[in-house]
Formats: sequence, C-alpha cells, structure tokens
Amino acid sequence: MSLEMMVGIKWVPNTQNVRFDPKTGTLIREGVPSIVNPADLDAVELALKVKDTYGGRVRVITMAPPSAVKGIEHVIGMGVDAGVLVTDRVFAGADTLATSYVLSQAIKKLGLPDLLFFGQETIDSSTAHIPAQVASWLDLPYVYYVDRVEEVNREEGYAVVRRKLEDRYEWVRVELPAVIAAALKSQVPRPVRLSEKLRFHRDKPLQTLTNKDLGLDPRCVGLRGSPTIVAKVTWMPEVPRKRQVFKGDAREAARWLVKKLAEEGILVREDGRWRVRVA
Amino acid sequence: MSQAQEPPRRKLLRIDDLLQRNVYDVDQRPHIILHAEKCEECEYKPCLRACPAECYVEVGGRVIFSYEGCLECGTCRVVCPHDAVEWDYPVSGRGVYYRFS
Amino acid sequence: MGQSAEFDAIVVGAGPAGATAAYHLAKRGFNVLLVERGRGAGSKQVFGGRIYAEPLREVFDDLDKAPIHRWVRRERFTILDGDRELTLDFRAGASTSFTAYLTQFTQWIAQKAVDAGAVLADEVRVDGLWLDGGRVRGIVAGPDRVAARVVIVAEGVNRLLLERAGFVHRASPRELALGVKEVIKLDKKTIEERFGLEEGEGLAWVLLGEVTDFIPGGAFVYTNRDTLSVGLVVHLGGAYQLLRDQVHVLAERLRTHPRLSRFFEGGDIMEYSAHMTIEDSVGYMPEHFAYDGMVIVGDAAGLLLNTGLTIRGVDYAAYSGYLAAKGVERALSEGDASAEALRRHYEVPLRESFIYRDLMRHRGASYAMKNPRMFREYPRVALDTLEEIYTLGRETPLPHEALARALSRNRVGFAEFALRMLKVVMSL
Repeated sequence: MSLEMMVGIKWVPNTQNVRFDPKTGTLIREGVPSIVNPADLDAVELALKVKDTYGGRVRVITMAPPSAVKGIEHVIGMGVDAGVLVTDRVFAGADTLATSYVLSQAIKKLGLPDLLFFGQETIDSSTAHIPAQVASWLDLPYVYYVDRVEEVNREEGYAVVRRKLEDRYEWVRVELPAVIAAALKSQVPRPVRLSEKLRFHRDKPLQTLTNKDLGLDPRCVGLRGSPTIVAKVTWMPEVPRKRQVFKGDAREAARWLVKKLAEEGILVREDGRWRVRVA
Repeated sequence: MSQAQEPPRRKLLRIDDLLQRNVYDVDQRPHIILHAEKCEECEYKPCLRACPAECYVEVGGRVIFSYEGCLECGTCRVVCPHDAVEWDYPVSGRGVYYRFS
Repeated sequence: MGQSAEFDAIVVGAGPAGATAAYHLAKRGFNVLLVERGRGAGSKQVFGGRIYAEPLREVFDDLDKAPIHRWVRRERFTILDGDRELTLDFRAGASTSFTAYLTQFTQWIAQKAVDAGAVLADEVRVDGLWLDGGRVRGIVAGPDRVAARVVIVAEGVNRLLLERAGFVHRASPRELALGVKEVIKLDKKTIEERFGLEEGEGLAWVLLGEVTDFIPGGAFVYTNRDTLSVGLVVHLGGAYQLLRDQVHVLAERLRTHPRLSRFFEGGDIMEYSAHMTIEDSVGYMPEHFAYDGMVIVGDAAGLLLNTGLTIRGVDYAAYSGYLAAKGVERALSEGDASAEALRRHYEVPLRESFIYRDLMRHRGASYAMKNPRMFREYPRVALDTLEEIYTLGRETPLPHEALARALSRNRVGFAEFALRMLKVVMSL
C-alpha cells in the first residue's frame, strides 16, 4: 500500500485586508470572496512535497457549506488527488471543539492516513486549535511548526520532521500515523495547473460526507456541540500615524529613521549600540 | 536632507488608503520583475506617474518597485521606454480581485 | 489530421468577448474549454460603467435578466476650468444603454457558458500559444499543453500571447489610454436626489478640462444602483509627458473637486481599479482577425470605440465573440480551421458588421480627439466665449465678437477651431 496523506483545509472569507466601517465598527464584508485559508496552503504544499518524494496519495478534507468545493478545486489544481467535503446543516455554527470532533470522526470513517496535515491557524479566528484537537480525538502524536518533512518510513512506521522555532531548528522522529501542523509561511504554494484543473472537471474527484454517513450525535456537533461562547467583540482603536516621508538616499534615510525613532524613545543607546527599548 | 510633508490639500486619499479598499490575494512570488539597473539611464521615468497603484517610487535617484498593490493594468509595461519591466499576470488566480468594477 | 485535439475550441480569457464565444459554441454542442486567469469569471474585469444594449439583444435573448443597474437616460457633458463650468444636460426619450459592474455582467455571461456545457478552468494563466509551423494548435499554460481545433484569443487589451507569438506588434503608448476609477457607495435615494434622476434611471456624465489636468482624456461619472463609478481616462501618448501628478491623484482631485464633491459627499469608496483601454482602435487591430487555427475577438482584436465622449467596448466584445462562435461553428462543420476558412466565416462578417464600419468611420474624429489642444485651448475658448456673453459690464458683445476674443486669447485660429468642432460634432 502506498503512502496516504490527508490535509485539513478551511474555506474562509478573504479578510486579509478587510476594512472596518468607521461608523458602525463592523467588518465591511460586501462582495468579499472566500479563499483557502493561506496557512492551509502551507500544509498542502508540504504534503505535495512528500508526495513528490515518496509517491502516494494526498486528499484534502474540509467541513464547510457546499460553496467550499471551489476551495477544494483550487488545491486539486495544485496537484492534490481528491477532496472530501463534510457538509450538513447540523454541523453549522460549530466552534473548534465540535469542528475537530466532526473532522476526526470523518477521518476515522475514511481510514486513518499515515500523515495528517493542517495549517497552523486560520485568518478568520486564529485559534490554532484544530490540529491539536483532531490529534487528541484520534489519539495520534502531534508535531507543529513543521517546515520540512525529512524522511518518511512507512515500513518501520515513522517520519522525521523539522520544526522551525524562533531561534533554532528541531528534528523530531514521530510514529505514524501522525498529525503535523505546517509552520506559518514556511512554504511557497505551487501554482495551479491547467492539467490538474482539467482533471478536476473530468474526474470530479470529490466525495461528500453528511451526518447520514457519519451518524454523529446531534448534541455533539454544530452549535449544540459547541461550548464556546463569544461574549463580546471589540476593535483596537486605530493608532494615529505620524506619516512622515523622507526623500533622499537609502543611507541618509536610515540615519534619519534612527534619529526619529530615538526621539520617540523607541530606540535607546546602550553600550554604544542602538537597542529597541523594552517597555 | 529633506523632509517632505504632504501639502495640505483637500483631503485627498493617499494611494495606500485607496488600495486598502480592494481585495487582494497576493502571491509570494512577484508577477512583475523590474530590471532597475535600466532605470538609471531613464530620463522621464514615466512609470512613477503612470502606475495607478504607485508601485514604482523613486528613492535617492533609484526606482524601487513593489508588486503587492498592483492593479494588473499593464500600463508600466507599455510606457517603459527601456524595456525594464518584465511583466506578466499573477498565477493561480492571485492578485487583485475586483468586485464592483 | 495527425493527433486529435482535446477540445473543439479553447477560449483564452473569460471576459465579455471570450465568455460570449464560449457560450455560443457550447450552446451549439461544441466541446469548449474557457480558460481564465482570475478567480471565477469577472474578477479581473474593469470598465467605465456603461454597456450599450442594442447589439446584445441579438447575442442574449434574456438580456433583461442580466445584472443591469440602471438604464441610462440622462447624458451630461461638462467642461471645468477653475470656477467656470459649462454643462450640457440631455434627457433621452428612450434608453439604449445601461450601467452595470462588468465584474457581475461577465460572471453572468460565463455562467451561461458553463450552463451550456463549457468547461471553465479559472485560476489558470495561459503563457503562450502552442504553435506548430505557423499554425495554432492549442495553448501552453505552465508545463501543460492542451490542443484544440480552434483557439479563440480573448486575452484583452494586454496582448501578451499575441505579442509573444508575433501576431501583433508591441503595444505602443500612442494606441492606449489608462483608465482609473473609484466605486463610491451611496444609497439609492441619495443618488437619485443628487443627480435629479427618476427611480431606476441612470446618468452618464463626461467631464473635460481641469479634471484631467488638461491633458488628453476625460473624466466620467456613472450612476449604478447604489454606487457611483467615478474615474478618468488619460491617453498614454505624447501628451502624457505633461502629466504632473500621479493618476490616482487626478482621480482623488476629481472626487474632492469643489464643484463636484457634493455629489460624492458621505460616500464610502468601495473599490479602486485601473485598466487600459484602446485609444487608436484601427492602429491596434491585428492585420487579420483570423489565422490558421485561431481567431481574435474583443479588446485583443482592437474592437473598442473611443470617440472622446463615449467609450464603447463591452457590446463590441460580446458581439465579436458571438460572430466568432458562429464563424468557428461553420469552419468546424466544414472540417476546415485554416486561416482562409476562419476568415471567410468570421473575419468577413466582422468587417461587414456595424462594429468595424463604425471604427473606420470614427477614425478621423479619434485623431482629432488626440490633439492636446482639444483638451486645453478649445474648452477654454468655449468658456471664455460664454463668459463674454453672460458676464456683462456696460458693453454687450455680439456672439461672434465674444468668440473672436476668446479665440485670440487662447491663440486658436478661427478656421482651425471651426474645422475641429465640425469634426467632433460630425463624429457624434
């Protein structure tokens, strides 16, 4: 049997540069399209690199309304073999606990892959809960901040991955199956290919799972299965910018900038060197 | 050394305020490559005024280019007199996403 | 015939031209691939704001179901210079054009193509035409090649593929103009009140003079359902050197202009877009509209009319896509996708159509509109003349005296002025 990989992705509104309505304090969401959560593309790319080396199959899984098929199409365009859409009205309104529960049960139903990848976090909630929770539900080892898969040995049942930490790398040998969260912005996702898009349209490599297939207790999924309560949402007040523009050559600009930052008390001189003042 | 302050105009929005209205999904790889060494001999530098996203700015006599706010109009490619702009569209559907235009 | 093609036709670009071609071919039972670089159709589309409906009625039998914002009945033309303003306001008896977002309108056409059975491969940038001894065999996208019996090039104003393959010359600034626009949100009622419109009625407004810094080009305002499209077009030709500010500064000056800002007051800018448009259509046209295995439609074929006062491109694009689909259908049913067959069935009908005839007829006026004096001296002649006539002291000048003084003040010869004006008026 060949290497089985699965990547969890999320279809999120592209809020990378969304604005707030200054009058109402709410997000201006009109016409904002959804995209595959950028961090999840790191996970997809990481999985595809393993496939480049070892072969096997990469599938993606997402719990979302049917419009997320467009996101599955995108990653299939990158070379992912097939997609699984987990969708049901009863899954709506889920927090991370209910989401990870549904995902883990769907993955179990599909058969545990050797490697299960996730992105580090999503742009619409940034909890970073899902990979850890799925690992927990499935009782699998979990490694995060991974920027490289060094070795996969299916016969002996282990993989060696590299974790990218703030100041060092760490190599971890992990038993298969394992859950791996890709380090944020650690990959450059490969371009969508025409031939892969044509494969998507020709073969429709897409599977849909509803709660009819999973048979989960409605009390454990969706809004009912979600203990999280968002009590309040507030926004950071906009910090007024001083907006000074310096025109001149780069060396002069650097000197000018340092001088300005020192005047503001952001840089301080210690032992003949400039340091950022620690508050 | 000079410090240019924005002259007090009738509340014109700056380019970053305008571009902020748009939806982008920026590719990590630039879709346009500027061969800036060719800009040094350029007298008019039409890109500086022609680019509607102000992707080209002159700093200390050199043209600095950034692609993130690109509106994908292609004007820089057409007005550049020195063939310094290696221009293409972004791949994978990335770049600007127009909704109301 | 050698290897078999995967598709009957590949259309490059799901704009109004390409999506229409794909729709009509798919509807006629052909196996069509529509390739689009954007995310879904429409996401890279920009235009001024108005679409002429008449030709589209032949192309789409359900045009009334299109995402139309307002039917244009008010036409306004303004010359601005400092405190002075000359406005012509015309209310038409019937409407022949509507405002829309091209993003939405294009999506509407592309959805028809998909419903008719075309395969839409979006998020894919086509990098080249697949050439085989001068014959177009298909397309190249990254490492992939896909073959088709005919390729319909609808790549838009930036003709990267046609240039790379040597079918057209390198784009020159003289042939093109840059348009920028802001879409400003206001509620429906406010729009109707501010512009004096009846419910659902639309306005198209062209402004000249100060608003483009007196360099060749013009500004525009279109009323959508609950937004305004506000922007300007500046020619990229010689006079472009006169441009003192960045184009977005001009757009912002337009929005904040003391005589205009009240129309936009309180509106939120929803989007800021830019696109090139064709200035010299005839110069931009390829030598032929069809080659072995390939036809060219829409902006890529230079099919856009810019009279200076009206820009007409979307209906031309869609109509050329429609003609291309009909031509390709005939050529393929004869089993002959040669240049001769495609020219017989597409290029000839296109050259005989209202599009080509109008583009040729307007050629002269288009040259007239390129004269920088058209945008500085002549508008000032008009304003100075009216100022003489209306701003009276003791003396009441005769109209021809007012005109003569205005002409001499702006160093414009009478014969030159009369001739130019005649040309412009004739072109309308």
